[in-house]
Parts: sequence; C-alpha cells; structure tokens
Amino acid sequence: MKPLDRRAFLARSTAVLGAAGAAAYIDVARAKGAGAPADAPPTTPGGAAEGSDLEAREPFTGVHQSGILNPAPAHATLVAMDSFAPDRKTLQTALKALSNRAAELTTGGPIPLLEVDAPPPDSGTLGPDNAPDALTITIGLGASLFDHRYGLTTKRPRELTQMPTFTVDQLDPSITHGDVLLQICAQHRDTVVHTVRELMRTVRGTFQQRWAIDGFGSANRGPTQKSSPRNLFAFRDGTANPLTTDGALMNKLVWAGAGEPAWAAGGTYQVVRIIRMHVEFWDRVGLREQENMIGRSRDTGAPLGGTTEYEDPRYDLDPKGDRIPLDAHIRLANPRTAKTADQRILRRGFNYSRGFDKAGQLDQGLVFVAFNQSPSRQFATIQNRLNSEPMIDYITPVGGGYFFVPPGARGSNDYVGSGLFE
Amino acid sequence: MVRQKIPVSALVVLIVIAVGAVVVVILGGSSKHSSAQAAATSLPSEAPALATYSERVPHAASQLNAYALQGTVRGAASTPQPTEPPVSASAFRAPVAAYKAYSGQQLKLMENDIARLSTELASGDRAAAKDAWRHAFADYMTLGAVYLEGPVADLDQAIDGNPGGLKGGTASPQFTGLHRIEFGLYTGASLASLEPYARRLAADVVELRRILPRVQVDPLDYATRAHEILEDAVRDLLSGTDVPWSAEGVLGTASGVAATTEVIKTLAPVLKSREGVLPVVNAQLGALRSSLASLQAQHGGRLPTNSQLTQSQSEQLSASIGQTLEALAQVPGALETTTTPPIPTIPRADERIVP
Repeated sequence: MKPLDRRAFLARSTAVLGAAGAAAYIDVARAKGAGAPADAPPTTPGGAAEGSDLEAREPFTGVHQSGILNPAPAHATLVAMDSFAPDRKTLQTALKALSNRAAELTTGGPIPLLEVDAPPPDSGTLGPDNAPDALTITIGLGASLFDHRYGLTTKRPRELTQMPTFTVDQLDPSITHGDVLLQICAQHRDTVVHTVRELMRTVRGTFQQRWAIDGFGSANRGPTQKSSPRNLFAFRDGTANPLTTDGALMNKLVWAGAGEPAWAAGGTYQVVRIIRMHVEFWDRVGLREQENMIGRSRDTGAPLGGTTEYEDPRYDLDPKGDRIPLDAHIRLANPRTAKTADQRILRRGFNYSRGFDKAGQLDQGLVFVAFNQSPSRQFATIQNRLNSEPMIDYITPVGGGYFFVPPGARGSNDYVGSGLFE
Repeated sequence: MVRQKIPVSALVVLIVIAVGAVVVVILGGSSKHSSAQAAATSLPSEAPALATYSERVPHAASQLNAYALQGTVRGAASTPQPTEPPVSASAFRAPVAAYKAYSGQQLKLMENDIARLSTELASGDRAAAKDAWRHAFADYMTLGAVYLEGPVADLDQAIDGNPGGLKGGTASPQFTGLHRIEFGLYTGASLASLEPYARRLAADVVELRRILPRVQVDPLDYATRAHEILEDAVRDLLSGTDVPWSAEGVLGTASGVAATTEVIKTLAPVLKSREGVLPVVNAQLGALRSSLASLQAQHGGRLPTNSQLTQSQSEQLSASIGQTLEALAQVPGALETTTTPPIPTIPRADERIVP
C-alpha cells in the first residue's frame, strides 16, 4: 500500500469519523508523531512504518473462512476453548461477537476511544491503530459442541467426531479436543499475541481456554520462492500439498459438500495434531537412515534418487523399495496412485518449541494442521497407514483434535456459525 | 549438594576442554590440532578420563570433544565413505546369543518377583506389593535389547504395553501386564482385583522365556539397540510417559543402563577393532552408573521417583545420560554390516525399461 502523507490521513480520519473522530484525531496525532523528531519516517494508516508488510490484509468474510488456502504466514497460535454458555442463545451471541471482533481485528484500524476512566476497548499492545498484518482468524467447532447442551445434535456435520486415538498416540487430555478452536495466523508474533488476548476478552465468561499452542513457520531459505520450508527434523514439509489455486481440486479434497447438512457447505474439517518430535534422538541418527525414513534428500527435498524437490518419486519404477523404502514416510503418506488420489489433504502446519520437558529434553515438534473434506476418507486413512512407519520412534502425537470449520461469514451482518441457528 | 558430587574425572575433562579451547583461540586456525594435543598431553597423567578425550577419538564421537579440541567438526565437500570395512554379520552371533542368555536369566528373576507380587496382593499389603512390582518392572526393563516385533509384538504389549494407543485407554481389555498392575496399585484399586493381572503376567513372562531362544535379532538392530535403549528411557521413562502412576522412571532408566552395559559388553570384541568408540562408551556408561549410584545413596538407598528428583539432580542425570547417548550414537555406524550403497537415481524417460 502506498504510504499516505500524515496530514492527508489525519484530515481524512476527521472527515470519516466526524465528532468521534476528533478525539481520535488528537490521539492518533499524538501517538504517531506529534513531538517526534522531524526525520522520523512517515507512517501509513494502520500504524505501519513505511515499507513494512503490516498493511497486508486477508479478508475475514467470504464463501470460505480465511486461514485455509492462503500460504501460512510466519506465526500462529491455536487456542481450543470450551463453551460455558448456559443456553443456545448465549452461544449464538458469543459466536456473533467472536466474528465481529475477528472482522475488526483482521481489517485493522484505530482503536475507538472511551472516557479516560474506562478501561480501553483494546489493550493497545499494537499501538492506537491496529495494522492487519495479514491476520487470519479461523473458527472451528468440535464434536462436543454438538452434544445435548445447545440442541445442535441434528446440525452436526456428518463426519465430525472426537479425534480417535491412533495407535501411535499418547494423547494428553489437557491438550486434546475442545468445543471451539481458534486458529490465529499473522506475519508477526506481536499481532498473534495481541489477537489471542483480544479475542479471549471478547468471549470471556462464555468460552474458556482449554489449551493453546504457539507455532512458527521456517523462513524461506530457498533455493526458490516455491521451496517448501523445513520442519524441525530439517526436512521440507508440504511438498506434495495439492495446489490451492486449483478450485476444482479444492472442491474434491477440501470443501465439505455432498451429504453434509446444508449449513455446512463450504466448510471443511480441520485436523490438528500436536506432534512432539524427539529432536535429540533424531540428531543421533545417521543421515542416510534419516533420509530413508522420510524418503527424501534432506538438503534438496528431492525424492531419493532425484535432484529437485517437486520431482515425481516414480514409485512405479521402484516397486521393491530399492530407492525409496516401502515404509518411507512420503511413500506411505501419499502413494500417488489413482486409488489414493482422493485421500490427499491440505497441510498447513507450524513448528513449535516450548522449552524443555521434565526429563530435560527439548519440547519441540509440529503443530500439524490439515484441512480435508472427509477425515475418514482422507486424514485417518493416511494416519493408519503411517502407524507402521519407522519414524514413529522419533515422534509422539500428544494432543490436538478434529474440528469443523464452518463456511465463512457472508458479509458484515453475518457471522461464522450462523447456519447452526437457522 | 549434588553439584559438588561431580566425579573428579569429569572435572579434569572439563578443565582439559577449557584449556584446549583457550589454546585454540590463542593460536588460531592452522595449529589447532597440535596445540590441542599439547594441552592434553601436558596434563597430569593420573586423569583417568583423559584417554577418552584424546584426539584418537573420532571427532564425531563427541561434539564437545570436536569443538573443544579441534575447534570444529571437520567435514568434507562431498559425503565421505566410511574408512573402515563393514563388520561381518556373523560377528554378531555370539553377542546376540550372550545377550539372550542374560535376558533369560533376567526373566527368571522377574518370574520370582511376580510370584512375590502375587503373594503380596493376596496378603493385602499394598506397600509390599508395590515393592515387588518395582522389582518385576526393573527386571523387565533390562531386556531392552530384545526386539519383540512381528508375531511376538502382542506378547510385549501384554507384558509392558501402555494404554495410550488402545481404544478405551485404561479400560481396554488389551491393557494388561506391568502397567495395568501399576495403574491399580497406585490409584487405590483393590489388591484382589489385580491378582488376575499378576497371574496373566506370570504366564506371559514364562511364554516369553520359552520363545526367547527363537526370537530373531537382526545384527544391525542389535547394534542400534546400543543407543536406543537409553533413547527410549529418556523419551518414555524419565519423561514419565510410560510410568504415569508410579513415576518410577529413574528405576526403569537404571535398568536401561544395565541393559546397555550388557549390550556393550557383548559387543566389546567386535567394537575393539573400531578405534576409539569402546573406551568412550565405557567411560560414559561408567560415569552414568556412578551418577545413579550417587542418586540412590542420596535417597536412602532407593532410586528416587521422577518427582522426587530435585532440579539439580534431574539436571545432572539428564546431562549424564545425554553425554552417554552422544557416545552411544556412534555404535551403530561403527558396526555397519554393509558398506552403504549409493541411492539409485530415478531413471530418465529414455532409460526406462517398461516392466
């Protein structure tokens, strides 16, 4: 976005906001540079310094929710909450408030001013004017929300169940499942932290935090703009993702439709898996063994025997696994046959690192996030194939859940989940 | 204070490293090698651990060693081939047989401890039953190098399985064995309700001892177990994951150290030809056993539970195990039975033979 002259911006603010804006005018002027050195860099609306990427905006409204098809930015937090709404009406109110606040935060703009003796409506940790920073807020609903409490049993999406326990799992109930899931993604950590705080405040007393996890994406370190980032095992992750620009493919693999309740059309199932990666152990394994477990070259990301990341592994020419072992991760996860084509999922995960465990080992891993049309046909089928992969010694899935991400809010009068109450 | 109980040998090692690092800094790049050696050889000869940190040790055996003495890990422009010829698979026959014999004896001990457990369950003495359980659990953890895969995997699940991956968790009928009994003993279940599980466990252990001679152990797997037993102990036992009710992770880890010591003992004749690996591994395992003995002494002669470890004790144990694991991680590579073949390339279209 082209930086605006500050004077022009202030004038416009006054015009748009009228009387209320007058107060904002004074406040914004004070925050943005009244008294600042003459050589201070000009600013743009949204509190972004010139040349920054803070003005990037992802629309909250639309046929689908945001935070699914757009490339994952550098920072994320997932917050699972349980509902303590006493009745259906309160639940509806909370969901409405959540969407309205989410729309406001993703759009950005100045914080409304209240009387000085009132707590401000926004913590202000991003300054008096929130920059959007490509913020996305994706709202998901857990199977438990469709129990007897709110009369939603008939609205439950066809495949929404509690995430099953797979044989490799050591699930910790305190970081598993939940009534509502918020996936908050932005380009900068402070934006995500601010958003978590603001949204929690919006629904306080009705939705209570159950668990949360912070994630980060690895920087693109090439060799090309399209190179997939590395996970904490140092291997590129996401290479075989279906193309999100292929609408027909997304309709086949991501968006819920046929067989679902009418309100759910355009939604998708989100699978979250908090996968601890035992990185010290991994670091004590020979490179060839690591590569055989994954099926790719660690450095290039090419399938073993190939030279570039996006090359076809040609399993058809390697039926005995001489080149890529038959139990290699990529081979089990996506055998690339006609029969398994409709099992593919859209992965959009993040690394996590949260200190050390009780045994003094780094607590790092993957916040695996996948979107798919049918968890039973897609994610669970893949996961069950992976139960026998050699990599299971080095990972432990410890939490997460299945959530249904409803279609997007259709406009400023709509909200995510409105279809539940129609 | 635990901090004061660092063995003298370990302190000497740290001093050597510190001196080496200082000399390296002073003398700079090209003379790193000789200067480090000079620093090492100028130290008093009574330092027992010194040999384990000499330059004769392959640099990859310890990052601490490599960075302190050489200043860096020396690599190559392309992946170098191993310098030593592969070990013949037949060289593993005697070590595996010896470990199986050891395991058989451990299982006999376990049978005795399970018999005692049954007696205590029947007599209604929970504390005594817990003690018997601890012994049986510790016995089983010394079998770390026995892979129970394929057709005998169910037996391992029955004896030592956790409820984590089972449908219904602790309520699953497949949840039996040591951890089912642990669950009951430590959550206040009636002791009588655990008697059937003790009987089932006794039968499963007898069955395991019966089939043990026929359990196949692949040479490479056996070499890999040299470090995986303790990797698993850190991941599953010290973290508390596999012992959620008793928290007896230190006890299980001590058994893992015993198992690893046994594996290394059986492999010693094969490892002898691999320069440097065996002395480092033995020194580290010895230091780790000393750490555990010291912990036991500090807790009145009984190994503490995970939660009884003070922060300092926990850190020291993690440090000791971590250092041991870095050394043990060299064992599988040192014992490769084949020269790693190059990866075949994906054939170009014009090279493809239609099958």
